[in-house]
Amino acid sequence: MIPDRLESNLRQGFRESLLPKLGLVLLASILIMAIFAPVLATHNPTRTGYLDENGNSYPPLGTSYTTEIGQDGEFVEVEVESTSDHLLGTNDIGQDVFSRLVYGARTSMLVGLLGTGLAVLIGVPFGLVSGYYGGRVDDVMMRIADTMLAFPSLVLALALIGVFGSAGFGIPDPLTRFGLIDGMPESTTLPGTVTVVVALVTWVWFARVARGEAMSVRNEEYVTAARSMGASNWTILFKHVLPNSLTPVIVLATIQVAAVILLESSLSFLGFSGTTLSWGYDISRGQGYQRTSWWISMVPGLGIVFAVIAVNLLGDWLRDALDPNIEGEGGGA
Amino acid sequence: MSSDDNRATSSVDAGLATGIGTDTPDGEPLVRVENLQKYFWENDSLLDRLLGDEPVAVQAVDGVSFEIREGETLGLVGESGCGKSTTGETLLRLQEPTDGRVEFAGTNVYEMEGSDLTAFRREAQVVFQDPFSSLDPRMTIGDIVQQPLDIHDVGADEERRERVRDLLERVGLSVDQLDRYPHEFSGGQRQRIGIARALALEPEFLVLDEPTSALDVSVQAQVLNLLEDLQAEFDLTYLLISHDLSVIRHICDRVAVMYLGEIVEIGPVEELFEDPKHPYTKALLESVPRATTDERERDRETLAGDVPSPRDPPSGCRFRTRCPMVIPPEDLDIDQDTYRELMTVRERIESRDISLETVGDDDQFTVEDGSVPEADIPAFVAALKRRLFDEPLPPHHDEIVETALTELAASNWEDAAAILRTEYESVCERDHPGLGNNTHSVACHLYGTAADFEGAVDPNSWRG
Repeated sequence: MIPDRLESNLRQGFRESLLPKLGLVLLASILIMAIFAPVLATHNPTRTGYLDENGNSYPPLGTSYTTEIGQDGEFVEVEVESTSDHLLGTNDIGQDVFSRLVYGARTSMLVGLLGTGLAVLIGVPFGLVSGYYGGRVDDVMMRIADTMLAFPSLVLALALIGVFGSAGFGIPDPLTRFGLIDGMPESTTLPGTVTVVVALVTWVWFARVARGEAMSVRNEEYVTAARSMGASNWTILFKHVLPNSLTPVIVLATIQVAAVILLESSLSFLGFSGTTLSWGYDISRGQGYQRTSWWISMVPGLGIVFAVIAVNLLGDWLRDALDPNIEGEGGGA
Repeated sequence: MSSDDNRATSSVDAGLATGIGTDTPDGEPLVRVENLQKYFWENDSLLDRLLGDEPVAVQAVDGVSFEIREGETLGLVGESGCGKSTTGETLLRLQEPTDGRVEFAGTNVYEMEGSDLTAFRREAQVVFQDPFSSLDPRMTIGDIVQQPLDIHDVGADEERRERVRDLLERVGLSVDQLDRYPHEFSGGQRQRIGIARALALEPEFLVLDEPTSALDVSVQAQVLNLLEDLQAEFDLTYLLISHDLSVIRHICDRVAVMYLGEIVEIGPVEELFEDPKHPYTKALLESVPRATTDERERDRETLAGDVPSPRDPPSGCRFRTRCPMVIPPEDLDIDQDTYRELMTVRERIESRDISLETVGDDDQFTVEDGSVPEADIPAFVAALKRRLFDEPLPPHHDEIVETALTELAASNWEDAAAILRTEYESVCERDHPGLGNNTHSVACHLYGTAADFEGAVDPNSWRG
């Protein structure tokens, strides 16, 4: 149920600016990449050894590079030409970079969406209860939240992973499981610990936003009316406070997806991810080869950049549409 | 007014038709409020306590007592912020009281638990002032009106929907609007929806919290008439909270006038409007513009000063700081206007509401370390007196005032106030006037024993 005003504002924002369109196209392509990864990938992303006869990785299509190989103490200059078989080249151990880009989108989107979802599930009820009850309950709950906020999120995430270890578990991929596609991984690894950890370090933002909303909604007369009818606190929280607090939570959630993608990349860059099929992990792989084999980290890096831009553009669009200062007719919320 | 007569009879009928729903013995009031108090606490957070700040009590409602008989409409009238809405919410137990008790059909509302409380929540409902915030913007009209039925689990699904349709039709809305959202309706329509919701559980008692003050005048009359019709039809008892005297006069049987958290006068509506006793009630009735030509000549007496803060209400009678009829001490020969002026000046000295730096013409006096140089004092006092008093004072009072203002020249606020206090202390500030227990009662010293004092003003001498 989208309020009319929101819908008209969304339409207007979409019509008047290029940015929401760009964001939508980008995000749609990344989501398609993530969902249809086995179809789009040209090679099995985990298979190694796509190297030329000298053991060199291939550069992206249309480029070439020179490498020097020490053999029996002497250096030989080798010119490496790209091949149409590997569109974006291969990495140091001969994995296809394009296929890894496609599969990396899966990890980023899974962690981004699930992690944010989990953070919403923890933070929103916490904040609503805190803001609705107020007083001592609010004092205690918000001090807990402030304590969480006091830690830098990356440090807190590393500490939590230190405690829980970094486990990942496989989600079967229907496309390969039922034999529709051959030669692709049969399951995708969801870095479980990382998903939980990013939720644990970002839920506080949702708690704070939900609390603020609950504090204003609880003073609305329809809440007093519900109490005068004898509605229980839980009924009021669920039927009135929650629905009327959600809009800013949705905007925040959109923007938080980007933050979570970045956090996941940072964690996997540092090697704490639980999966090796991740943009952050690939960036760290290419770290030593920046001067010659730039594409190994550049390609997954661009993947992260576009994913974050896409999500932020959509978040801005939503936020503007919900801004009461540009509200059309209707009023109310 | 013939319509008033009709209404009076219908409410008598309603009063006779007892025994529906509640077991009120004949003659017993449906609602009895006894010494109700509601304080709000400021500076009461964790941080404030750590910093050692004392909590401040905002005395929104302070010792209010009244009764509402079955089938009648009691009006609660007063300025904004006088605590009338808080009284309404507290007596419905939507706020916890600081002290006092409220009986509904003989049972203390604040001691109700379980099924008693559930029954009370069915019998007592509220209609709010703001039809825009009293309906959840994310629920359809049908869901809103059905909500009380859902909460109390009344009837089967189909019965509930049927009841909602009946209610909407009864308040004059069309049934095919069931699936619309509140923002699609006008203020008057929304208020009708609020009324339909309040009636869903067939209550006995309705608190109407300024039900018309957010509406256009033409719509106000419609909503008021609807409320009157519904009262006759369903034997409802109303507590009508309003600042609009014409609304009160139109619909109420009895009126209670509130000032700063207290009831100052209570009585039958016609008697109170025709023969107001409390100076505040008089001022309130004076302030209503009347549509006749001889109005041009009417000398409208407006009240001096602002409503004092409920954080620190005046001692004795709370209205004394603005009252045009404060009672002077008995041995004092002084006319009322002068006395009022003196009391206002004293009030300002006590609250340090006088700027000493700006006395006299530009930079005439230098105020160093809060005091004026010895040589300038007479001139300073004269200048200050000219500013504070419009008319020259009688010699005896002139002397007293000069002594006090001389203290002020040295910034001795306390001493200045003390001088005036010993000379001019009124019974109105010493004693808190009680509200009597008659049909028409008033909490004012002019009508109690205080009226026997020499120098007391004849209450009827004041232009009414």
